[in-house]
Amino acid sequence: MASEAATYEIKSEHGEVINTSTGLSNKKLLMWAFLGSDVMFFGSFIATYLVYRNRSLVGPYPADILDIPITSVSTFVLLMSSLAMVLALAYVQDGRRKLGTFWIFAVVVLGAIFILFQVYEFNHFVKVGLTPRTNLFGTTFFILTGLHGAHVTLGVLWLMFLGFGSIKGTLRADNAIDLELAGLYWHFVDIVWIVIFTVIYLISARDVAPPGSVLWVPGAH
Amino acid sequence: MSNLWNKILYHDGQGWWDLPRTQWQEPNPKMEGPLGDGITPIKRIWEIMTAANLHHGTPGFYVLIGAILSIITIVEVWAFAWLFLGALLVPLMLVLSLGKFVLVVGFFMHLKFDRKYYAWIFTACMIIGIGIFVALLVLLNYGGQIQQ
Repeated sequence: MASEAATYEIKSEHGEVINTSTGLSNKKLLMWAFLGSDVMFFGSFIATYLVYRNRSLVGPYPADILDIPITSVSTFVLLMSSLAMVLALAYVQDGRRKLGTFWIFAVVVLGAIFILFQVYEFNHFVKVGLTPRTNLFGTTFFILTGLHGAHVTLGVLWLMFLGFGSIKGTLRADNAIDLELAGLYWHFVDIVWIVIFTVIYLISARDVAPPGSVLWVPGAH
Repeated sequence: MSNLWNKILYHDGQGWWDLPRTQWQEPNPKMEGPLGDGITPIKRIWEIMTAANLHHGTPGFYVLIGAILSIITIVEVWAFAWLFLGALLVPLMLVLSLGKFVLVVGFFMHLKFDRKYYAWIFTACMIIGIGIFVALLVLLNYGGQIQQ
């Protein structure tokens, strides 16, 4: 088979066995291509949010409801999870299994804390009257941040699986490429949040009721 | 619990604080403790950065990048909350978030150290993604006017 002949194995500087047909790791190439497609995916939703920005006819509007201090803390938590992720990979590649395991579970815990922040925020928004069906802000906000939250949840589950693999000894320096792929995914989720935090929370957090719309009164829904 | 603590903090039977007293004659062991070389004097930071090889940085280097990312986030929130920049707010936020984006993609995702092909793939997808982004903004904002 021509496809079998074109695929061969190489060893990285960490002693990892890498399948390749281009000189690049097939797995890593696939992950980068996937992340590239995810750029377009999130790009579309962020553009949609911006298109419908300031077009809601009823409240609550971003200025009524967004809580920047709380979201800043959750943003910091996600940034620190990215740091923990890159440390986990460095230690696993270096063969320091215990430290690698420690930092993998640090990522899991920080990711779970971020999700809890999001659950709290969504719950609070629904309580005060913002749902995906309330207005254009609610629809675009919940879809964008909800999809990001789903990505984070998937990443936490993936890393939990790898963390237990590290405890059992199935994740080692010679197959650290598996953790590197999860790391690439996790860092991507982090950079998407960097953009979401800037666009939704910092740039449009002072958006009030646009002209011709109904002013929002807390507790009036 | 104490066993776990020892395993996390200790390396080759020595605590990370038990470093050679004659540090100018003997280099500190690399990747000590849970934060690696991160807990070191400022003058060591440059050594750590320059010690980063072609394939990945050291843990201390990553801690430095994490600290820079945290500082940028603090500056963003501070500028949002206390500086009333008006029209300057959006460009400032975009520049700061672009800085964070580049740091994460370049160093945490290893594009700076890794094969250039990965960077090209991601950059190509970013260009297409930004194209879709701009096309959506233009079409949905001005599409009705074009039809008329």
